[in-house]
Amino acid sequence: MVFLVVIIASFLLQMFLPWWVIIIISFATCGLIGKTGKISFWQPFLAIALLWTGMALYQSFPNHNVLATRVAEMLGVKLWYIVLLITALIGGLTAGICGYCGYHFRKAMIGSKKAG
Amino acid sequence: MNRVKALICIVIPILLAYALNTKFGDTPPVLKFLNPFTGFWQNAESNMVKANKKIVLKGANEQIDILFDDRMIPHVFAKNDHDVYYAQGYVTAMHRLWQMDFQTRFAAGRISEVVGAKAIEVDRYQRRMGMLYGAENSLAGMMENPKSKEMVLAYTAGINDYIHSLSNANLPLEYKLLDFKPEDWTPIKCALLLKQMSAVLAMGSDEFYMTNILKKFGPEITKDLFPDYPFKESPIIPVGTKWDFTPLPIPPTPTGYTEMLTGNVKTKQKIEGIGSNNWAVSGEKTASGYPILANDPHLDLTLPSIWYQIQLNAPGLNSYGVSLPGAPGIIVGFNQDIAWGVTNVAADVLDFYQIKFQDDTHQAYWYNNAWKKTTKRFENIKIRGTNDEVDTVIYTHQGPVVYLQKPNYGKAKNVPIGNALRWIAHEKSNELMTFYHLNRGKNYADYRKALTYFTAPAQNFVFASVANDIAITPNGQFPLKWKDQGKFILDGSDPKNDWQGWIPAAQNPTVKNPPRNFVSSANQSSTDKTYPYYINWEFSPYERGQRINDRLTAMTKANVDSMRNLQLDSYSIVAQNLLPHVLPLIDASQLNATQKEALNITTKWNKFFDAESVAASVFDLWAKRLDYAIWNDEFTIADIPMRYPSRDRTIELIQKEPNSKWFDNIKTSRTETLKDLVNESFKFACDSLERKYGSIGKNWYWAKVKNTNVPHLAKIPGFGSKTLLIGGAKSTVNALSETNGPSWRMVIELGKTPKGHGVYPGGQSGNPGSPFYDNMIDTWAQGKLYDLFFMQSATDQSGKIISHYKISKK
Repeated sequence: MVFLVVIIASFLLQMFLPWWVIIIISFATCGLIGKTGKISFWQPFLAIALLWTGMALYQSFPNHNVLATRVAEMLGVKLWYIVLLITALIGGLTAGICGYCGYHFRKAMIGSKKAG
Repeated sequence: MNRVKALICIVIPILLAYALNTKFGDTPPVLKFLNPFTGFWQNAESNMVKANKKIVLKGANEQIDILFDDRMIPHVFAKNDHDVYYAQGYVTAMHRLWQMDFQTRFAAGRISEVVGAKAIEVDRYQRRMGMLYGAENSLAGMMENPKSKEMVLAYTAGINDYIHSLSNANLPLEYKLLDFKPEDWTPIKCALLLKQMSAVLAMGSDEFYMTNILKKFGPEITKDLFPDYPFKESPIIPVGTKWDFTPLPIPPTPTGYTEMLTGNVKTKQKIEGIGSNNWAVSGEKTASGYPILANDPHLDLTLPSIWYQIQLNAPGLNSYGVSLPGAPGIIVGFNQDIAWGVTNVAADVLDFYQIKFQDDTHQAYWYNNAWKKTTKRFENIKIRGTNDEVDTVIYTHQGPVVYLQKPNYGKAKNVPIGNALRWIAHEKSNELMTFYHLNRGKNYADYRKALTYFTAPAQNFVFASVANDIAITPNGQFPLKWKDQGKFILDGSDPKNDWQGWIPAAQNPTVKNPPRNFVSSANQSSTDKTYPYYINWEFSPYERGQRINDRLTAMTKANVDSMRNLQLDSYSIVAQNLLPHVLPLIDASQLNATQKEALNITTKWNKFFDAESVAASVFDLWAKRLDYAIWNDEFTIADIPMRYPSRDRTIELIQKEPNSKWFDNIKTSRTETLKDLVNESFKFACDSLERKYGSIGKNWYWAKVKNTNVPHLAKIPGFGSKTLLIGGAKSTVNALSETNGPSWRMVIELGKTPKGHGVYPGGQSGNPGSPFYDNMIDTWAQGKLYDLFFMQSATDQSGKIISHYKISKK
């Protein structure tokens, strides 16, 4: 569920909002419906990694990966799909960490209410 | 406890968002750059081009059609002058926005604004050389004329309407990398771009070196080794051309100008490398009976390409050629009736004046036996990440005092301290009108009229018309000087050292339809010694000009291929002049196996700098080393920067004075002869090549040694070209060095319908993610030309159109 919400919301909102909207989406989604810490990390991670890989390939294939290859050379990694890997990994990791933070934020808030 | 945890859970995402959205040092903002929705992936352009597009723009007065051919070259069809330049601005920005922005920022000394404090010395240098000051003066000139004013304002509006249409996702790639946003274009940027051309082509000066040489060796030797006219020359205006005007009186040479003192100063030495060629042959020499014109301006090559091809069509105007991104109009090109092109004139239009200040406040300086007040100009430099800096520049009546203290900047080490700069690029001017008139020109009279508007950087304007006129004019605003004024640093206190007026534009050297049936230029001396005015004491060496003139003289029934082949000619007149005098001096018995092999190859060499020539590699290094061996002992002294005598003088010495004292190395006890130096330098060249490229063979090929490539404008790795294995060399017609060479090759066959051919090393698009970024580079490297599609109307079907933009107000 988290996966679906994050991937759909991120796809739609990134059409007109900056990339960091994925942080808010992951945080809020897991803060509301994240069942466990594990789910709250891995589902946003996979959602963003997949969404960004898909979007990058959608842009890059009709370009025959010319630009990605140039950027790879600029970054000193040689192969274009390493740039793709880095993109997906950092994006996914950011979403995962923020999902995890969202889940634990809820836990902390509920915890403090109970305590109070 | 839990509150702390909750807080941490909020802080981490915020920190992540900040860290991955911010530029640290030279690292671009990581996810802002990498994310595929607004980052660099969005700049990957599809190989499929959208065929038709309707655009509504309030800036357009009437409907504009922009048709893109299969190399993405725009053909603009507008119904009035405003719309044609408006569309030129729009479409140029669409393809080249970052390049235009970056080049004009660089010119204006505004790089720190984008990259931070590390560029501060670059910016100070630009400001202190008076780039902004000159651009402001030029802008005033452009705005005075209603036509150029309309051009600039319409062009500016077109660029801005494109900028305003941009979203974050489709910002040019380099903005994402350097993390800044385009600002609105302003008319001063058009002026700055033209100033930058002056900075590239007319900023060199040798006066400090020459002054030191004069002080060290005295006037006799200086005159002998640095003569005012070359030993071998083939001037642009053919020898014997009569001057049909009464010259103005030449200002008198001040007495004792050689005796003045100079401070600890250095100036940027002119570097041979800019090696442009142009020529036009009359119908007498062509197969078609109509003239053919050719031009290949040479510059430091970059991607995005320096030039932008475009066709402009409006009532009274139908012109095709190359424009500079950032300036309206076509700089080099043709229309139905005429064709024109340019090469640089090495005129002495930059002088330094030694200034004697009253005291350390620099409020007054000694001039004409009195203290004269200076003025101050405050340059406000914005710096990313820190406070603005206000740099104060002192101005005398000559111009800016570039430096009062030695700056910590490589390029500026070459600028004299405490000297005022008088430079043609500071003058009020309106070069755009030259191109306005050339683009619409119909005949020789229109060409002559157009040239009167041109100030700087002075160019050899070549011309041909369908009426079978050909002409060439070394043209620009030339100061009226006494002979050799500015060969050495000038005393700023003497009014006789000031520029005392101008050579009248009509008296600039020119020739129309000479008996030899062709005109040509390759940056060499403008005239023979009979021209009454002083333009400079030294121009680019004559070899390319000689070769072009030799070949054009012999040419009959010329067509586009004969012109193209001449542009690609890599025959070395230097080798022709030098080899017969140095090869016999080699003592083969003293050579090792590799050296013997190299000698054998060099002896048999056809003297062409072909890509696969081994002899070319040997000769190039050998000649360089020989020059060094002759002059370095006398002309390289710590703290007294000097330059070597010219190649022309060196060859004269070798040919005519083989026993000259200059061949002795004064740093050794024995007395060396020319023969010793020739043998040593030959062995040195072979040994160096062997060390670097292994045993003699394919790795010694000239193309591999030369390593030609086209780098990105900001030198971003991966965004430049690969190494191109091609021939050509400095001092040959195809003057290609590592990264300097023909930035545009063009051949125009005039006739009932003109036929244009051209290519540049790059492409129309400035986007490294576009298939049109470097699609022409291989054709350029192979020495081929494209047929240019000169459309007769918006519905012309004779070429291939892949996309059509319709721009209208509603």
